[in-house]
Amino acid sequence: MIMIAPTSELTPDQLARFIHGLGYEITIKETCYGANIEGDKELIGKIVPEVRKLDPNRIFIKVRAYPIGDERRCRAHHGSRPGFNQMEKEWKDLPFIEAGLCAAEGGEECPEKPPRRKLSVEKLMQIAEEDNR
Amino acid sequence: MSNIKIAQISCGTEYSGIQSEIENAAGTVGGKMVYPDVSYDDITRAVDEFGFDPVSPQLKLMIARAKALADGHYDADAVFIATCFRCAEGALVRNEVRRYLQEHTRLPVVTYSFTERLKAAQLLTRMEALVTIVAKKELLARERQVGITAGIDSGSSTTKAMILQDNKIIGKAWTPTGEVMASAQEVLDQALAEAGIKFNNLEGIGVTGYGRFLIGRKLDANLIQEELTTNSKGAVWLADRQRGEATIIDIGGMDNKAITVRDGIPDNFTMGGICAGASGRFLEMVAKRLRVDITELGALADKGDWSKVNMNSYCSVFGIQDLVTSLAAGHTIEDVAAAACHSVAEQVYEQQLQEIDVRQPIIQVGGTSLISGLVRAVGDMVGSKPIVPENSQYIGAAGGALLSSGFLEGQ
Amino acid sequence: MKIFIMPPNSLILYDLVERFGHQPLSIMAELRDRVTEREMESPPLNVTLKDVTKGLKYAGIEVPSGVRGRMAVWGPLVDEAEAAIIMHNTPFTFGCVGCHRTNLLLMHRIRKKKIPTLEVEYPEDEEEGKIMVTKIKAFLEGLK
Repeated sequence: MIMIAPTSELTPDQLARFIHGLGYEITIKETCYGANIEGDKELIGKIVPEVRKLDPNRIFIKVRAYPIGDERRCRAHHGSRPGFNQMEKEWKDLPFIEAGLCAAEGGEECPEKPPRRKLSVEKLMQIAEEDNR
Repeated sequence: MSNIKIAQISCGTEYSGIQSEIENAAGTVGGKMVYPDVSYDDITRAVDEFGFDPVSPQLKLMIARAKALADGHYDADAVFIATCFRCAEGALVRNEVRRYLQEHTRLPVVTYSFTERLKAAQLLTRMEALVTIVAKKELLARERQVGITAGIDSGSSTTKAMILQDNKIIGKAWTPTGEVMASAQEVLDQALAEAGIKFNNLEGIGVTGYGRFLIGRKLDANLIQEELTTNSKGAVWLADRQRGEATIIDIGGMDNKAITVRDGIPDNFTMGGICAGASGRFLEMVAKRLRVDITELGALADKGDWSKVNMNSYCSVFGIQDLVTSLAAGHTIEDVAAAACHSVAEQVYEQQLQEIDVRQPIIQVGGTSLISGLVRAVGDMVGSKPIVPENSQYIGAAGGALLSSGFLEGQ
Repeated sequence: MKIFIMPPNSLILYDLVERFGHQPLSIMAELRDRVTEREMESPPLNVTLKDVTKGLKYAGIEVPSGVRGRMAVWGPLVDEAEAAIIMHNTPFTFGCVGCHRTNLLLMHRIRKKKIPTLEVEYPEDEEEGKIMVTKIKAFLEGLK
């Protein structure tokens, strides 16, 4: 399953045509978010790096459980399965990951924020007393 | 009717190995499972509006899907709500979503709390009931019987017949089930004789229970229907509780049923027993050991105090052992009878009523509802005295006669 | 190295692990074998009764079947894992990762295994995205 981040200029159609153009014997299905490809593991292994090169920090790839066009997972057939909403949200948030990848590439220092702590009882009492005055 | 769209709102079915079974069951009765489409943003909004925010995301999704149905964003004919048995969070959401859909839509709903050991027959009965409720909606809305009609309930242990005329019972009979068709013919003939009418006078026949297809074909019945919807209609008709919610409890000779209904239409049920220790059969054994007739056991139990006798066995064999020990220790037969009734009620409560959400009033039916001590014990357990309608053992037959009369008007 | 990712079906984590040169242990690949079982006329959706029974290795019979069924798929992957990345507060864990109880049990098993484990927060903006990705990159590169 190949997903194109919403910030990318690349369209699913261009992606699908690019993969077709590589000339491997695999099945390709264009989707709303990118494309699904299916075929011999070795071939897929060759295609993945090529696809990534198209837009390295805005293309994301994972394995999908159900084969292309499987009726059991087909949205048109009986509505979407739960995993769909997850993909929807992850897709929306891909620009955050893209930012992360760019930062990682540039060796940017990204210090962690200190964790949020609960207010101490003493402090809370102090606020309440001040408020009472 | 084919392809009734049944919206599935569930958590855990695919990971309990039962999703294919659900889809097969729906297919068998002319239904098709569908999943109401929602977007990610809908889920957050729905949970907010619903006001119940479960931790497990799949349960949030259930809420969003229910809202999509209620808001008319997704079209379905019926709803199947299911979560894993023993999951507290799932049970809470299952019931709240069920209530929500019943309050906000006219869609028939059944719920199911499952384990991986799916009871295929129970699932099929649920799906069949859903499809029946959709396909025979107008018929099920019937609250008054008209004309002269007969109902036959071919159960696993007894066969019952009832004749109704203008919403009144004019004949009834029962017999232990032997050969299916012969037993049905026997009770029908007796009921006809009591009513003083001939078979030809019948304007409609409704058949339910295990032998319904055979009997229905032979008698050319105009209604052949599963027992879930038929019994529910019969019970609320007999108890005169056609509107609102109720729980129908039927402690049978061999197995037990509990059905929850809303306006006479069932939305969940549980069936079966862990062991004979929680059935009418156990009470029969107790009566025999106490050397009293089963019809006297209830009155004896009414006079006894169950708490004096230790009897909480889950098995009829050990249960009888407890009984023997108690008698040997000098307890009265009244106390022992009360303890036996309490033990059955307690086991039904613990083993079966857990799977459904018990709603008041309780309508207790079936042969064992004639044992007053058992009814009292069930009442103690569920917190209110059950209603036992007259002729409570005839719910299936009454439902069959009532519903079959639905074909008469307009003819 | 074989990296277990949590949530096990996350596109983001799967991609990052593979991108930085490791093998993500994917639930999806596991499920794929099950749902495309050729010898079965009607392949089960996700798991079979046998799987749910196998799940008893990870959780007792008193635990809901959906938890055991999920653990039957993921448990062996955790057993196989050489390292793990746990992403917390993921807003989208529906379906196979829709049961919070299972997710808690799974995290516990990972931590108990004492393999190199990185725990990160799901990013809510670009800044947090940067923090998460750089941490994951450093972690994965450190494993080599």
